[in-house]
Amino acid sequence: MNNYSKQDILIKAEGVSLSYGDKLILRDINFEIRDILRPGVVQGQVVSLIGRSGIGKTQLFKILAGLNSPSGGKVTLHDGKPVKAGDMGVVFQNYYLFEWRTIYQSLELAAKKNPKFKRQDIKKEINKYAEQFQLTEHLSKYPQQLSGGQKQRVSIIQQLLNGSSFILFDEPFSGLDVVVLEKIANLILQVSLSDELKTLIIVSHDIETAVSLSDTVFVLGTESNKAGATIKTEIDLCSRGLAWKEDIKYMPAFKETIAEIKAVL
Amino acid sequence: MFKQIFSPFGKINKQIFIVLAIVQSILALVFWHFASNGLVPKPLKVADAFFTLLTSKNLLDNVIISFILTIKAMAISIVITLFFSYLSVIPFFKTIAHFIVKCRYLTLTGLIFIFTLLTHDGSELKLSLLIFGIVPFFVTSFLAVIITTDNQQFEICKTLGYNNWETLYEVIVVGKADQVLEIIRQNFAITWLMITLVEGLSMSEGGVGVGTMLIKYNKYNDITNVLALQLVIFVIGLIFDLILGNLKFWLFPHSKLQIHK
Ligand SMILES: Nc1ncnc2c1ncn2[C@@H]1O[C@H](COP(=O)(O)OP(=O)(O)O)[C@@H](O)[C@H]1O
Ligand SMILES: [Mg+2]
Repeated sequence: MNNYSKQDILIKAEGVSLSYGDKLILRDINFEIRDILRPGVVQGQVVSLIGRSGIGKTQLFKILAGLNSPSGGKVTLHDGKPVKAGDMGVVFQNYYLFEWRTIYQSLELAAKKNPKFKRQDIKKEINKYAEQFQLTEHLSKYPQQLSGGQKQRVSIIQQLLNGSSFILFDEPFSGLDVVVLEKIANLILQVSLSDELKTLIIVSHDIETAVSLSDTVFVLGTESNKAGATIKTEIDLCSRGLAWKEDIKYMPAFKETIAEIKAVL
Repeated sequence: MFKQIFSPFGKINKQIFIVLAIVQSILALVFWHFASNGLVPKPLKVADAFFTLLTSKNLLDNVIISFILTIKAMAISIVITLFFSYLSVIPFFKTIAHFIVKCRYLTLTGLIFIFTLLTHDGSELKLSLLIFGIVPFFVTSFLAVIITTDNQQFEICKTLGYNNWETLYEVIVVGKADQVLEIIRQNFAITWLMITLVEGLSMSEGGVGVGTMLIKYNKYNDITNVLALQLVIFVIGLIFDLILGNLKFWLFPHSKLQIHK
């Protein structure tokens, strides 16, 4: 069963470029992410942005998040308006949290900004997520008292409670051991299944894990004789039958795709 | 162990640190005892004067007066400081905040006449001089804290959908509250230093306070009492430092975690 259709554009990058001084980091980046509809399944979108270390992924990430403006071009959302900070949930690479707030308070601050929650429901929602992500006993702690993996989960819940449809992850798999990696991968999958319009953008250099979770992959790389990184390849994993499957990592087609990505990196 | 004591970044435990402090203090006192040649009183003599001074009502009165003045000045100064520092993130007020910082270079002595004209009586004069003297230091310290704010703190606010005012409140007002106490603690020393200066400057107004006492003792070359009084001032400073330090950990538990990290 691989029945799906691509609907409205959710986010679109047009001619995005970025330079620092006369150093071009990003060049002419174009892509669009569409709502993928699967009959009978509530399923969001998971897009991976893959590229070598230092190529400009974090820079592109910040532009997509509306935190930095591109030097040229624009990023727009489904309503055609340019993206601005706050439109997208962001899980930073170092899982940054306010160190003066307890975990509970941090989550509360995020939840209060979600128009879907009534004031009196916030506590219940926080406890629900904390339970689900095994953080209940840590709610009254400060970030410095948590491990990296725990902080990452807090960052993710924070964005879930905040309620934006888009969540950007910067290198969510780096520095994790295999067990935690598996957990985070599952977590991301779970999040993507929570809502039809949930769109997760994973920025990563861990090709296999990222691709195994995604329905679409964009590869960021440089072209010979041209400065700056751009999208070199777009791979539609749905059409290859490589999306939404468990144990995908063992399929030959998956391995071929990985090899294909590695070749253009 | 011995090697650790003398190597850079060497790790020693708290007991060793205390032992080191005691040994070094004794060495310093012994040195003082044998090095003083009659002009500078020997430590035992100062200690004697110190205890005599402690039991005198005169000292207590003067210390209380100075202390209250200091606390008053610090309280008002911190309000002024917070006001301008919080607002320093707004371009219009940035210039003012930076001007205040530069006021560190103005010396109080030259301004005393202007302040005399502007104030009604001696205590008001002292208070305003003190405030004028310490606010620039407070603002300098606090602006340094604000400027070194990790950009990510602002970014996370933005991505959570905070507007600029909410960000200011969360990151600068709430997030830096522990630093405000730290600044008070660190600048208490400067305030304490200035109080002797300010009290000395306006002695003609029937001066009171430890500053005045100190100057009187100095005038009569009573070095023993000068040193004893210095010791009193020193000890009060240490106690205040300790209280504020613990208050910080109690009010803002996370600040303790950061130190242990
Ligand atoms: N503020 C800056 N000024 C100049 N160059 C920068 C700045 N920030 C990042 N860069 C450069 O941009 C490039 C891409 O960085 P980054 O996006 O962090 O890479 P990554 O793909 O590993 O996330 C790097 O070569 C880096 O040196
Ligand atoms: Mg990066």
